[in-house]
Formats: sequence, C-alpha cells, structure tokens
Amino acid sequence: MIDRLKDAAEFLRSKGVTYGDVRYVHTTREAIQLTNDTVDTLTNDVDQGFGIRVLMDGAWGFASSAVCTAGEMRKVANRAIQIAKASALTKREDVILAEQEPVKGTFETPFDTDPFRVSLSKKVKVLAKVNSILKKNPKVRVAESTMDFIRTRKIFVSTDGAEIDQTITESGAGYTCTAVGDGEVQRRSYPNSHRGDWGTAGYEFIERMDLVGHAERVREEAIELLTAPPCPSGERTIIINGSQMALQVHESCGHPVELDRVLGTEISLAGGSFLTLDKMGGFRYGAPIVTIVGDATVHGGLGSFGFDDEGVPAQRFDIVRDGIFVGYLTSRETAPRVNQRSNGTMRADGWNRVPLIRMTNINLEPGDAELDALMADSDGALFLDTNKSWSIDDQRLNFQFGLEAAWEIKGGKKGQIYKNPLYTGITPQFWNSCDAICNRNHWHIWGVPNCGKGEPMQTSRVAHGAAPARFHNVTVGVSQ
Amino acid sequence: MIGRDKIISRLKETLELNLGDQSEAVFLGSESHLTRYANSTIHQNVSETQTKVYFRVVTDQKIGVAATNSLSKTDLRKAYKMAAKIAKVQKPNPDFVSLPGPSDYAQLDTYHEKTARFTPRQRAAKVRTIINRAAKKDCMVAGSLSTGCGEIAVVNSKGVAAYHPLSSAAINLIAMKENSSGYAEGLARNIDEIDFSKIATTAITKAVKCKDPEELTAGDYEVILEPAAVGSIFEWVNYIGFGSKAFQENTSFMSGRIGEQVTGENLTIYDDGTDTSAIAFPFDFEGVPKRRVDLLTHGVARGVVYDSMSAHRDDTQSTGHSLTPDATGEGGIALNLFIAPGQSNLKEMISNVENGLLVTRFHYINGFINTPQAVLTGMTRDGLMRIKNGRLRGGVKNLRFTDSMLRAFGTIKAISAERELINAWWDSLGCIAAPAMHLGSFKFTGQTSF
Repeated sequence: MIDRLKDAAEFLRSKGVTYGDVRYVHTTREAIQLTNDTVDTLTNDVDQGFGIRVLMDGAWGFASSAVCTAGEMRKVANRAIQIAKASALTKREDVILAEQEPVKGTFETPFDTDPFRVSLSKKVKVLAKVNSILKKNPKVRVAESTMDFIRTRKIFVSTDGAEIDQTITESGAGYTCTAVGDGEVQRRSYPNSHRGDWGTAGYEFIERMDLVGHAERVREEAIELLTAPPCPSGERTIIINGSQMALQVHESCGHPVELDRVLGTEISLAGGSFLTLDKMGGFRYGAPIVTIVGDATVHGGLGSFGFDDEGVPAQRFDIVRDGIFVGYLTSRETAPRVNQRSNGTMRADGWNRVPLIRMTNINLEPGDAELDALMADSDGALFLDTNKSWSIDDQRLNFQFGLEAAWEIKGGKKGQIYKNPLYTGITPQFWNSCDAICNRNHWHIWGVPNCGKGEPMQTSRVAHGAAPARFHNVTVGVSQ
Repeated sequence: MIGRDKIISRLKETLELNLGDQSEAVFLGSESHLTRYANSTIHQNVSETQTKVYFRVVTDQKIGVAATNSLSKTDLRKAYKMAAKIAKVQKPNPDFVSLPGPSDYAQLDTYHEKTARFTPRQRAAKVRTIINRAAKKDCMVAGSLSTGCGEIAVVNSKGVAAYHPLSSAAINLIAMKENSSGYAEGLARNIDEIDFSKIATTAITKAVKCKDPEELTAGDYEVILEPAAVGSIFEWVNYIGFGSKAFQENTSFMSGRIGEQVTGENLTIYDDGTDTSAIAFPFDFEGVPKRRVDLLTHGVARGVVYDSMSAHRDDTQSTGHSLTPDATGEGGIALNLFIAPGQSNLKEMISNVENGLLVTRFHYINGFINTPQAVLTGMTRDGLMRIKNGRLRGGVKNLRFTDSMLRAFGTIKAISAERELINAWWDSLGCIAAPAMHLGSFKFTGQTSF
C-alpha cells in the first residue's frame, strides 16, 4: 500500500502542487451493547480508504475514495487539485505552512492483551453479569452496558517526503442503570456516562475497570435518587469528581484553545473562542494552582498517538501554566499566526475527512490535595458526580452542566443525596475560583469518545487527565 | 452513482450463500461535496465517495451484524460470513419475529442530476457571490455549502429488493460584523429550490440590525422563535421523546401518556417520510415503507415511531423508522418531522409583542437534564433581538435558556403559515419542517458577554 501512496505523492509533485499528502486508513471496529438481558448490538465493521489533501494556487483541496487502486488514486488526486483551484477563487491570501521536517517513522499502541483476540463470548458474559446485577431490583427499568474496540492503521505519505505507518488500538466500556418510579427517571453510570471510559490500550484496560464489582453500588444509587430531593439552588462550594472535571476541561479549555476556532474557521458550526490572540501569554485563565497541558505522548490516553495526520510527531506542551493562558493547539497552517511550529494536533475522523485541530490528551495537572482531607475541609459543600448534560456558548464562556448525583458533605463524608444537580458559570471566573485539586492518587485520564467538530461532522476520540477539584461561589441548581 | 441493478444483484449474489434462517444486506452509497468558508474565504473544500454495506444474519432469533465499505465480492462475502459467525455466539433476541417481506413503495422524486453533479467551481461561485454581497455591508461571512447524491438499497432473504436514489443541497450562512451576527440556512433535494439571494439578505440584514447589542438580565420572556430555533429544539425533543426506545424505557415525556394532553392545544407534530415538500425518502433501513405517524395532535400525545423489533415489544407494526442494522438497539427514530403550520406570519407575531425577544437560532442545546419533563438548555446565537411595542429594537447579548418544553410550548400564541426546512443531525435522510412560533413564556436562566 505504501508504494501506491508514494506513487500518488509523486503524481502530485508532477502536477506542481505546493504541498500534498496521501493518507490511507484501515479501521476495524467491534461494538457490543446489552440492554437488560438482550444483546442488541454485536457488530464488526471494517472500513478502508484514502484521502488526498493538496495545497495549490495558495488554497486547499481534498478528495477521498474507498477504492484503493493506483488508478483511483490518480483520479482522486486530480479531483483534489481541481477543488483546490476552485477554493482559490475566493482566497484573500495564500495558505502558508509552518516548516516541518518530513518524518519517516512508525508507531504502535502498546497493550498487554489484544482485544480483538478476546472472544466475543467472554466479553458478552461480563456485560451480561453486570446487567443481571443491575436488574436485580425491579425499579431498574433499563440496564445498558457496552464495550467498544477500534483498531486503526494509518499510512501517511507527503510530497515533502514523510512516510509514517502507525497502528492505534482503542478499548472502552461502561454501563448505565436507569431506575423509574412515580414519574421519576434517574440514572447512575460506571465508570462514566456516555459509553463509559476509553483508552488507547488492550483488553487489560477493561479488566482494570472491575465492571462487575461496581454494579451493586451503581444500582443502589440510582434507586436512592428516585426519592432524593432536588439539588438546592444557590451559590455553593462544590467538589467536582474526576470524570466531570474531564468534561469541564474539555468544554471550557480544550475547545477554546483550538487555534482554528480562535481564527474563525469553525464559526459556522462549533463557534469561536474567547481566548483571542491578544490573550496568549498574559491572560489569567484560572487560579495559580491551575496548570493544563496538551500531551499526546502520555501512555494509554485516548488522545495518544505517534504522529498527527499532518505527519507531526506527538508532543507535550503547556496550555495554562500556573493559571496563565500560554498556548494553543496548533496545525501547520495556523501555527505561524502565533510564530510557532505545529504542536501536532491535526487529526481526521477517517480517510474521508480532512484533518482538523483536535484535542489530544488535554490534562489538568494534579494538585496536592488528598480527597479525604479535602472532603473533611469542605463541610456543607456539594460533591458532584458523573455528567448527565452539557452546554456552552459559542465563545466557550457561559457553560452549564447537569450531573447524575450530588451529595452534601457532612463531617468529611457524603451525606444527603440530591437529584438533578446542575451547575453553571463563566469560564475564567469559574477556574479562578478553584482552590484545591486532588493529587496523582486520584488522577486519571478519562477517555471522551464522542467529540464533535467540523463540517462534514467529525467525531474524535480525545482524553483528559483530571482529579477531583474544589470551586467556590458556583451557581448550582438552576433547573426547575 | 452505481445504479439499482448493479447494487441489487451484488447484494443478492452475496446473500445466496444463505448463511442463516434469514439474512439482510443494507447498502448506503454517497458522493458528497462540501465547500466551507470563513473570514469571507473558502478555507476547506472536500469531496468524498463512500459506500457501506451492512449484513444482518438471524439464526434461531440470534442476530449478528457486520459491515464493510468494500464492494468486492470477496470482502462482501467475508462481511456476510462475519455476521453469521457473530450470530452464532449471540443470545436469542425474543423481540425478533421476522425480517419484513416485499412491499410497494411510494414513487418519490428525490434525485436531481444538477444537484448531484454540482461542481466545486459552481459551489465556489455561489460562495463568492455571497462574500461580495456581504462585503457591501461590511460583513464577513462563514458557513458551508454542500451538494451530493446517494443511493440506499435493502435486500433480504424474504424477497425485499428496495432501492432509491437521492440528492441534496444545503447551505448555512453566518454574516458577521464587529459585535453582531445574523444567520440563515437552506436545504433541498434540488439545489434550484434554494433561494441563495434570500438567505444572504436575511443573514446580512440581521447582522446589521443587531450591532451594538444591549445587555438584558435573564428571566421569563415572551419570545418569537424563528424556524431555525424551533427546528433545533424539536431535533432534541424528537430524540428524547418520539422514538420507541425512550418511550418503552419510560424516559420519554410520551411514556404512559398516549391520549393525554402533554403540551399546548395548538401544537401538532407528525412524521411523514413520503411528503416531498420536505426531504423525503420512501423506506427505512429494513425496507419497510415509511408511513405518516401522528406524534402530537393539538398537544395530545398520539404515538411514537417504531422499527420492527421495538414494534413487537408493543404488539404493533413497524412504522418504517428503523435505523441501520448496527443501531437496532436505538429503536425507531423519526427523521421526517413536520410541525403543523398556523395562520400567522413573522411580521404579525412581532407586532403582537409588547416586550419580548426574537430568537434566530440556538447553540449547543442539550436535552438530557430531565427527559420526562423535556427540560432543555442551550444558548441563543446569531441574532437575538429585542421586541418592544410591536417592533424590533436591535440586538441583545446572548442568553441561556433552561426550561421544560412541555411548559413552554403550552404557551403558544401563534404559529406561522410558512415553514422552512431545517437541517438536522441525520442529514440527507430527512429534516424538520418548522414554522416560526410566538410563545407567551420562555425561561432564560443565564447570560454571556457577547
């Protein structure tokens, strides 16, 4: 295959493109979903194709096809060139790419147990056991458990001379228990909502979750929520658990630091960003204890890889350092706007999509708090756990999150449980109210498998390292 | 486009291996092209040719699904065999009765050659015209223009051999000034039915009128929701309420309430995949003909949409609303929503508001907060305007709403006679035909700074 891609790149060179890359992607997905005692999804999906991106006459063109023959590659290359020429009809200035040494390299996700070699029967058996525990109480209307496994091989060749072959393996699992009673519907999930937790890892990642071991607690909490009072409204001190902190980072930091958003090219769908160019290097984003990094090199994160889809090696870099906003996620096209080279965040959702700036592992660095000590120091505060809903404005300032459950903290422990908690805020005010972040003992990289961006819509798998953290004067409970 | 005969014969040929009690092959093919523009220049321009074939094999009610995007005989057979292999390790699904048999389908005009063959240069020319018009009002523009075509086919061992082609064109447009923006969109099977000039005028005019927006405190306001705002709300209301899964799991506001008044008497919603005044398609992914389903009639819950397995659970028939075989766990989903029109118009609605807001559209709505009450939250975007004494009075900084849609749509004062086709996440398979609405009460719960 790589020879066909190299031929296509040579063909692009012969056509006089300023730059071109050819990317072949082969993906195998396995999805399992059990609802109550029925396996309602058991799917194997194989997908392959290639995409050709060209820069010609100062503008971009991209075309793709599922037919991976040499003849089709030339046809698609010509189509991409024609599209680039059409794009140039409206250009205001030529696209200039940041310098990048062409890399020849390989990368493979390390894992202990190949998830595609674990039998379907074994996987189904684990989920069936979970569901049987969840369904033991008749108030549980729906027990829904899932496992997902994805293997992606990408071969990337550019007219600059890059040749990269990488294979990424991803595993994910989780479950949700829905209890119903007297017109009330309440859910609890483990280890996270929205299809659980994910990582670039093998089946060992699933085994470490101990899915079965948490099912009874999850069931009892869902039932307890049916008769729980609504979360009280008002300004409160809150401790947000790790999985929700991951989504808080995702929505209020990860997206607004995407430089393509900042430069306006995502306005039509996802929106722009309040973190405008003038703010880089001096804007106080959060309290001094808040440090957020982008790190695609970390082991096991769902946003970990060897090279991005422009052939730039995976990197670690600062985004917020000691509360000050210091850096964006960049691409070869956008990085020159901040006098930098790309930090390697361009990724595409398959061969048929153009790469966009996407989050990698955007991690809130751990602090020094022990959770027990933090709880003991937070009498009367609310402990909020597991995301239920999310919404944020198109500049990423006004956010609102709904959670599955809240507890009032009494004597250092979880006390009264509340249903339907919400909290809302304005991004920099919120992060400046953070006075404690738990330490590495409570820190975990949470996989987010469903990050949407772009037109046509692309779904990216990203991650966020996070630990429980405390915030003051947060508006809680605005729903009726 | 591959064509009916080639697709059907290739699928039939594969199913001749006869690997289960019953087998099904679903083909989706598309040629899609999208020109994206921002800062008044085209910055992304893409083209894609994709196919996908799903195989579903059922043996003793045990169901296996596998998919491939290759049309080679070898790969198709491999995927079909994989589906059969998966079925063997499955547990029986008691809701499976049978794959459907052959049916007659509505003859719908859903394919237009000009739209299918629209070139990158033609799309760029349309965008350039919009850019030039916006420049005359000192506006920058952003958005996308997509065109394309596709084919969907369903073949099964019970004799179904359904095929239908489609084309579609869509544009969304944001016009921007220094501190304001305006929005408009268009959608059609035939690109000639999109009025690009009107869309540009609407977005640009709105951006100009909304400049220097005033700040308002959150609270309960009388509102006029334009069609894009109505459509985005019902995209979520549909997802959490009108499908069989949510209904059967008791998480829907419709659960246990069929025949009851759930919202205002002047709200009627139905789904009809055969109505070519919107984005029609004649059958679902099981090859069942789509039929009209009344969801809410004068605010009374009437029914939800089903695929074959969820229909069996409720001892009824499929309404022609199945998704692809890999998503059968989701039950039926309505993809062709119509909100019944009223007799008013936007101008008349505005004239009847003493102190209120006009919402052009919403951003980032989420409906998982409290689904039995259909509580949604989201932000206004691209044209929130103040109405005072029956007249538009300029822009307002954006607000967050959090409200029960059952409550809010219980306060409808007027609905427009004219509807617009609003694009939804399910893209070229359908849309939401939405009018403008005048609501007496809509709860805004937060503010932002722009």
